[in-house]
Amino acid sequence: MNRPPPPSPPSAADNGPVAGLLRLLAGTRPGADAGSIKRAYDVAAYWHRGQQLKSGDAYITHPLAVATVLAEIGADDQILCAALLHDTLEDTSYTLVALREEFGAEIADLVAGVMALDAAPDGEIALSGTGSANTAVGTYDSRIVVIKLADRLHSMRTLRHLPPPAQVHASRHTLRVLVPLARRLRLEAIRSELENLAAGALKRYGPRATTVSGRLLAATTALLPTATRARWREEWLGELSVLPTRRERITFAAHILPGMPRLAATLHRLAHGKQAHRQ
Amino acid sequence: MTLQTQLVLRAMLADPAAERYGLQLCAETGLPSGTIYPIVARLEQLGWVESSWEDPSEHVAEGRPRRRYYRLTEEGAEQARDALARVYRSRKQPRLSPGVAWPDVTGMS
Repeated sequence: MNRPPPPSPPSAADNGPVAGLLRLLAGTRPGADAGSIKRAYDVAAYWHRGQQLKSGDAYITHPLAVATVLAEIGADDQILCAALLHDTLEDTSYTLVALREEFGAEIADLVAGVMALDAAPDGEIALSGTGSANTAVGTYDSRIVVIKLADRLHSMRTLRHLPPPAQVHASRHTLRVLVPLARRLRLEAIRSELENLAAGALKRYGPRATTVSGRLLAATTALLPTATRARWREEWLGELSVLPTRRERITFAAHILPGMPRLAATLHRLAHGKQAHRQ
Repeated sequence: MTLQTQLVLRAMLADPAAERYGLQLCAETGLPSGTIYPIVARLEQLGWVESSWEDPSEHVAEGRPRRRYYRLTEEGAEQARDALARVYRSRKQPRLSPGVAWPDVTGMS
């Protein structure tokens, strides 16, 4: 049952879902190693067999789409193979040892690096040129990060299949972590598409001020220092959204207002770095 | 220290390690929203309280926006106990007027 598929000769490459990727490569990079890429696809398809995406599509369509994004920006064969295999270690019983044996240390390091990057604390992602991830110091090879960016781009393109709170979470994370990485790697097309998709989802499902009480709260935050407004607005609109009755929502919003001068004074003091006198 | 600040600190000291969101503090103290937020912002400025956004696994699962959680710092819990004890010893009536300038909560002795 856990036997991987037999290698298929490159001549079989014209068949199946991977054919589109191979045709794209034939046009843009004729020297591409179609045999290895087809093999990586077959192995990934084998291990993801029976798995589905939230959209209902077969799981393998996701790594294939990620590899296609990367082929479009001229990624090399190792990156494309790693992209096709990028979720096998995390979501299937395929092992790093087997991956290393079949595809070599470089591709195995890229796949392991993408998995490590998924688990990295947000603020601790530094780029390196070592070919692998060093989680102890938080450095990741640029090629690992490029695969992660393509992975997120496809997730953001298919975001509509997730429930709204998950869309908001993914969009915030994209803006906070992935967009700055794309900017640092000068991947402008990916950066702007990620930014637009995330901003669109947040506009649809992020904290909104559509009710009377919500508009009142949003207006109230205008009294606060500019840099602090988004936080309080989100916090209060969030509180508002769980209050069951209109009356409770309006009471909450109306009672916020008299406290604003004092909150504004505290936040201004904070902004100007004046520490309160302490004993 | 204002009576309202004492109420907030007492509520938080009832379970010093617990995380609380704004509405919860309103409910526990009986104070209105506009009173709670300036107090927790001030306590955060003093380092007695720290705040952070809720872990996505919880609010995403429950299908609601994320909450901002407040909790006493270790130092804050200690300082709050001392401050409340000093208020008690001083036997002064706590100030009720919410409009007065915020007194230094550590300067009560």
